[in-house]
Amino acid sequence: MFFLMATSVGAQTKMDPARATELRSKVKAQSGSTRTITSDFTQYKHLDFLSSDIESKGKLAFKAPDQIKWEYTVPFAYSVLFKNQKLYINDGGNKSSMDLGGSTIFMQLNRLIAASIRGDMFDEAAFDIDYYTLEGHDLVHFMPKDEQFAEFIKAFHIRFGTAGEVDMLKMIEPSGDYTQIIFSNRSQNQPLSDAIFAH
Amino acid sequence: MRFLLTSLCLVLVGCAPYPKKNGFSDLAPVQKEIRNPYFSDMAKDYIYKATVTAFDKSFGGILVVKKLGREHHRIVFTTRMGNTLFDFSLIGETFEVNRIVREMNRKILVNVLKRDFVALTKESLRIEKTYGNGNESLVQVDLLSNKHYYTFVEGKLLKITRVRKGKEKVGFLFSGINDNIAKHIEIVHKNMALRIVLNAI
Repeated sequence: MFFLMATSVGAQTKMDPARATELRSKVKAQSGSTRTITSDFTQYKHLDFLSSDIESKGKLAFKAPDQIKWEYTVPFAYSVLFKNQKLYINDGGNKSSMDLGGSTIFMQLNRLIAASIRGDMFDEAAFDIDYYTLEGHDLVHFMPKDEQFAEFIKAFHIRFGTAGEVDMLKMIEPSGDYTQIIFSNRSQNQPLSDAIFAH
Repeated sequence: MRFLLTSLCLVLVGCAPYPKKNGFSDLAPVQKEIRNPYFSDMAKDYIYKATVTAFDKSFGGILVVKKLGREHHRIVFTTRMGNTLFDFSLIGETFEVNRIVREMNRKILVNVLKRDFVALTKESLRIEKTYGNGNESLVQVDLLSNKHYYTFVEGKLLKITRVRKGKEKVGFLFSGINDNIAKHIEIVHKNMALRIVLNAI
């Protein structure tokens, strides 16, 4: 009995197909109406051989269709802005840019991050998708079908809040090491100045 | 004649061994080995903010170094968002690529990184020769079939210099040293436009 209780804690269970369809509709409706998002985030980089995860914090700004700014504040100032197929970096005041046109992996990653922040990743041509329930949350696993991409990231796990908004994103590498990003203080569809996305 | 003598002197200095050119004179070695302490504690996670400047392009990331055993280090470089760009294991001078993204998987680059990380993490080194200049000592060791000179000031390792044909090829500079941790490390290549700057997090 104790053994059963112990194994059921934290276990994820498969979602039944009807609930999965319902979740998909809810998330699609949510992402379709998302024009802007601002949110705080805490990022944990897990490498199996380290004694503790590498933790960083910052603010996220998103403007539809695909402008995203990750502004890290802790442990150091660093921002990365995806805009017009380019990646703009501000490393503590040192600015640089990278054309993503030449890097398919980063271009795909940017597209996916934009889609995953909105929760709009239900593309069965691009992913094998599994639906779970974990501790009262809806959790969806997206496994990229593209072999080259899967060499980079094996799976995305996205956890949704009650309104169908993304509250956790986990990118798992083929080795099993992962990056987990937990969102908090999310605000949606508030006007965002273009200055936020200026470089 | 004076010109000839000056030229001759310059030629002679030019051909002199690296320590002599830099004003060091021979010292009798007092120990057999030196120690690089900066990545030597198995209990520590060494995490650095890294900026790599190569051929006028610059990109940043996180460099993680972990000592896993005697002469055994794991070295991982990730983007700021945590995506692994390369993951190497160094056991002695044996180098294993656990993972590297296709864009970086070039033999020349991997070889440069291998040599740099061996020099950066190699803990115990057999002394070949010792030189002194005031409070500085310069210790010559053989590593990766090249002469490397370790500069110590008051017992602290401040620089590793890889030398080929009497000239500095790569310099590893350590500063902000406290409790066997170098807060700031710079790896500067003289024969190619490559510079790696590491700041401890």
